[in-house]
This record gives sequence, C-alpha cells and structure tokens, in this order.
Amino acid sequence: MSNLKNLLKQIQATPPRERVYADYLAAANLAKEAASDLQFPTLKVALLRNFTIEPLLPVLEVEILLAGFSPEIWVNDFDATASDVLGGNANLEAFSPDFIVLLNWLETLSPILTSQFLSQPREEIDEEVIRVRQWYRDIETRLRNKFSAPIIVNNFPLPSEVTLGILDTQDTQYQLHTSQMLNESILLDSKEMEDIYVMDAARIFAADGFFNCFNSRHWQMARAPLSQIALLRFGYELGKFIRALRGKSKKCLVLDCDNTLWGGVIGEDGVDGIKLGTTFPGSSYRSFQEEILNLRERGVILALCSKNNEQDVLHVLDAHPEILIKKNHLAAWQINWDDKATNLRRLAEELNIGLDSFVFVDDSDFEVNWIREQLPEVSVIHLKGNTSNYRSLLSSFGYFDALTFTSEDRRKNEMYGEARVRKQLESSASSMEDYLVNLGLEAQIGVPMPSDVARCSQLTQKTNQFNLTTIRYSEGQIKDLIDDPNADVFYLRVKDKVADLGLVGVAIVRYEAQIATVESFMMSCRAIGRGAETALLAYIAERAKLAHGANVLRAQYLHTPKNETLVSSFYKNHDFALISQSEKDTNWIFDLQSSNLHYPQWMKILKI
Amino acid sequence: MNTNEQLLKTTLATVFNVPIDIIGEDSSMDTVSQWDSVKHLNLVLAIEDTFNVSLTEEQSLEILSFPLIKLVLAEHGISFS
Repeated sequence: MSNLKNLLKQIQATPPRERVYADYLAAANLAKEAASDLQFPTLKVALLRNFTIEPLLPVLEVEILLAGFSPEIWVNDFDATASDVLGGNANLEAFSPDFIVLLNWLETLSPILTSQFLSQPREEIDEEVIRVRQWYRDIETRLRNKFSAPIIVNNFPLPSEVTLGILDTQDTQYQLHTSQMLNESILLDSKEMEDIYVMDAARIFAADGFFNCFNSRHWQMARAPLSQIALLRFGYELGKFIRALRGKSKKCLVLDCDNTLWGGVIGEDGVDGIKLGTTFPGSSYRSFQEEILNLRERGVILALCSKNNEQDVLHVLDAHPEILIKKNHLAAWQINWDDKATNLRRLAEELNIGLDSFVFVDDSDFEVNWIREQLPEVSVIHLKGNTSNYRSLLSSFGYFDALTFTSEDRRKNEMYGEARVRKQLESSASSMEDYLVNLGLEAQIGVPMPSDVARCSQLTQKTNQFNLTTIRYSEGQIKDLIDDPNADVFYLRVKDKVADLGLVGVAIVRYEAQIATVESFMMSCRAIGRGAETALLAYIAERAKLAHGANVLRAQYLHTPKNETLVSSFYKNHDFALISQSEKDTNWIFDLQSSNLHYPQWMKILKI
Repeated sequence: MNTNEQLLKTTLATVFNVPIDIIGEDSSMDTVSQWDSVKHLNLVLAIEDTFNVSLTEEQSLEILSFPLIKLVLAEHGISFS
C-alpha cells in the first residue's frame, strides 16, 4: 500500500511529458492488490473500441487513481461497438458505467478514407464520409438514450502519408481535407448532444509527431496502433476529462516570484537587475507570465507566495516596465519570510477555497519538497531545467482544464479583488448587520434560464465546502430536472454595491405527495457571510408550500471531509428538526404548516 | 547474477505482474499464464525501453521465452555471460 502510494506520488511529481510507461505498469500492478486500501470511491469506465486498447489500461487505471478514484474498467470485444450498442449488450448495461469512452481508429472504421483512399471515385468518398458520420450519430444517440454517463469520443489523427503527396494539400477533395472535415463533423454532432466530449487525438499526434505516436509494427502485428508515447498521452488526456467532470479541477495558481516570475532575486538584483523582458532569458519569464494571464482569463485565481519583503515585490509589479502580471490581477498574496506551508494555509483561508484546489509553482527544491511533505493535498509544479520550457511545463499538467467556460470565470479575479474592498467596509462598520445593510445586498432567485444551465452544472461540479450533499450534476441532468414537473432547480444570484457576484447558488428540490425534499443545496464560498443561503432556503420553503402544497420540507446533510466546517449545522441553524443521524449523514425536517423560514431583513429579494 | 539478467527478470515480472522469483530459464509463453498476445506487445516495448534497443519485426515475434529473449538481445550486443 505504501509502495503504491509512493509510486503514485512519484508519478504525480513527474511532468506529464517526462513520465514513463514502466512506472504506470508497475503502479497498475501494485494497485491490483492495494487499490482498495486507498478507500477511494469507485469509478467505472466502459471502453468501446475498434483496435487493441489493452496496453492503454495500466495508464488509464493509474490516471483514475491519481484523480482520487478506484478504477473499474470494462472493455468490449474487439470492434464490437456497433453490435454492443445498437444490438445491446447485457454486460455493458449491467456494468452501468460512470464514463463511456468511444475509441476508434479510422483505418479500421473506414479503409476507404485511409489506406484505400485513391482507389475510390470521389462520389464513393463523399458517401463514405456520410456513412462514418452516421455511424457515429447512431452510436452516440443510442448510448445517450441508454446511459446518463458522459461520453468521450476521439477525433482522428490527420494522415501523415497521403497517396497524392504534395498534390493532396492543393485541393479540398483529397485526403487531408477529408480527414479534417470528418473531425469537424464529429465535433458538430457531439455538440448537439448532451455530455458528449471530443478528445483531440489529432492534436496529440501532431504535438508529439505522427511517427512517434503510431507503432506500425504493432499495428500490423496486433492492430495496436498506439506507441508508448501515444498511450501515455491518451491516458493523461482521458484523466483530464475525468478530473474536469468529477469536480477535481484546480482553482488557484500560487506562484513564487524570484526565478519563477522573473529571473534573479529581487532583494539582491533590484528592479533593474532582474531578468524580464522581450530578450532572452527575460523573454522566457515574460512568456510564462503570458500563459499565467491566459489562465486568469479562464477563471483561475492567481496568488503569490514569496519569501521577500512585500514592498520589494509589489514595487516590481508596479514599476517594472516589462512585467505583465500586475497587482490587480492577483486575488491575494503572502509575501513575507514565514514558511510557505503556513502561507498557503493563510491563502486558503483568505480565498475561502480548499488547499486541494491549489497548484503551487516554485523553482526551489527546498520549497517544493517542503510543500509536498507538509501539504500533500496541494498540487506542485517544480520549475526546473530550461526557462524556455516553463510555459509549456505549466500548461502540460492541464490542472485547470474544465469543460465549461462561463462569464463568471472571466470575472473571478476581479471578484476576489472586490472582496478585499468589501473587507475594508466590514472593518469600518459598527456591527455586522449595519455592514450588511450598507452593502445594499440583492438576491435574485428563480429557475435557471437555458443560458444558466452550464454555470449551474459547473457549480455542482466545483463546490465542495458549502455543499450539503455534494451530488454532481451534468448539464443534461440539470436540464432534465428543470423539465421534471416533480422537481425544481433554483439558482441564486447575489449582488451588492461593490459588485455583481453572479450566479453563486443552486438548489435542487424534489416533490412527492406533500413532502418536498432538498436533494442538493450549495453556494459558492465567495458569497458566504451575507445571509444569501438563508434567502435561498426561505424561497424553497415558500415555493414548496405555495406552488406544490407541501406541508413538510425534508433535507439531508451528507458528510464529506470538506463540507463539515461550513454546513454540518446548516439545517439546525435554520430551525429544522433532526430526525435521524449516522456517521455519514443527518436528516432534518421542517414543518411548513406551523412555521415559516424568514428572508434576511438586510437583503432585497427578487423572485424571478 | 549478471545485472542484465536481473534487469530482464525485473522487466518480465513487471510486464506480467508476477513475482520475480518465478521468472527463469524455463519462462515462456507456455509456462507463464499471464504471457498472452496483448502482454507480449507490452513486453516488446518494455524490452526496447529497458535495453535501449530497437527490435525488428521478426525479433519481436521470436522472443517467446526467456532464453530466446537473451539470444535476441545478445544480437544487439547485450551480454548475459
């Protein structure tokens, strides 16, 4: 067990592009005996394939372990996807997968579009593209109707060798463009269905090179086209999807300063002496900063953690002519001489997010090892080697990869900046209630519009601390619940004088006879401390009583290591009566006939 | 024991997920039940990785037992004496 843990830690500490197949193989072997000791929840993946995929399994299993789940993988018979899906397969149905991965190699699916391309008349090619596209649609539609699991489907590597040589790229009717078109139609068809995602095999093959990714010997020997490199990349990429869809994406990037954001040491070299700019080596650091700002645009929270004098670092941010990262890009910083584990804990507290949402970046062996030892839940990127690689090293981990991108994401760092202003207001108000009244709080509550569905699903995926039951919902599930006459989805938007916090809360309620049950209730941590959660709960009670004739409101608190502090007493604090409790959960009831839940007085409530 | 021999045993034990002490001169596709055609692909890749060699197609089909692997590797200049 400790061997497995150590090997997993070692793999995790290695940059994805430097990992080796043998480590995955060894870890997967150890996991066969010891995975159950880790006590991870099970994650079931069904792999439907038309080529020899078995060598991928050790990599995929370990990536699932690294995401915090115990893998259970079901693989269908070679090239049996059409009959398994269209004709039905009792084993697949009994397996009831959490994820479905549809992996196809184009040459098996369509020799006409690959190895026999030129021997076909053009009309035949056109028909074949339509046939392949229809094959995908049929399979995806049937899978979607039968299973609620997210489906991941690969697109196709672009051809490396084309029969027509340089002529191929001179016309749209030839091989390259046909493959590109096919990839485009796979994307367009997937977009039309819920919870189908495209894994970009074309990019993987392009990034590492077709001939490094394709093992022609094993393709001919055993219909196993993927080289070790491609197996590692495919496994890692699938891991990213699993992390993103299971709420394991990271939220906050914590950066060291000296020899990380710039070359040199500010305390010794001074603003004029550090390396940062448009010429090498300063250009490496500038490029690294560009990528950091891209992540910020995607909604990643930025923070600094540096052993320096605070004014020295802030002066670089203000005054260096070439610096890209400015003070207003940062949600928080800890610049002092305390140890970095302490500082990371402070950042977690200030930003109100869990340490396991942090990615810590540093060049120092000492700091990197210290954080790995003291705070194993923090993901660590160790910058070493050539500075020109720092940018791609950061992005290669894909720690922040998500499958949604909302307007809230773009605003997130501003919001944390606004939180600092709000804190100043707080310290000047005489009482908490005065402060809240001064804030001019406004809560908007209602049923999500179609444009809100992605954000609602994202909240269910990402919220860990203020989340009563921690059930994750896909966009498709949220839509189904909105349409369900016996269920309601409510959203909560909060704004105040300082800023619009956006859509910060979601609740899901089910109705049966005269009982309303709160299945899920969550709020983003950035909205805590305003009473908005009370407003949402009061609204639920009001709707249950008035619109559904319920006389009882039931609710459950499901314990997780992360939600205990914030919400274990949530229902008690709102005068619910405890009806049962176990180690895992507590169950509560509120009598809607004899009492009411009140909206906070300091808040204006808009019911939509 | 020769270090290459030890390395080869470790490689086989990892690929087939069996204890290293069951790997020996008599190990072959017939005697190691985990040695199937799919694992054989992993074995070829693992041997190429570990000994930094590139096997020909013929060699990758030939290496069906521990002695045969050593013979093929010897052709690549890896010594087992």
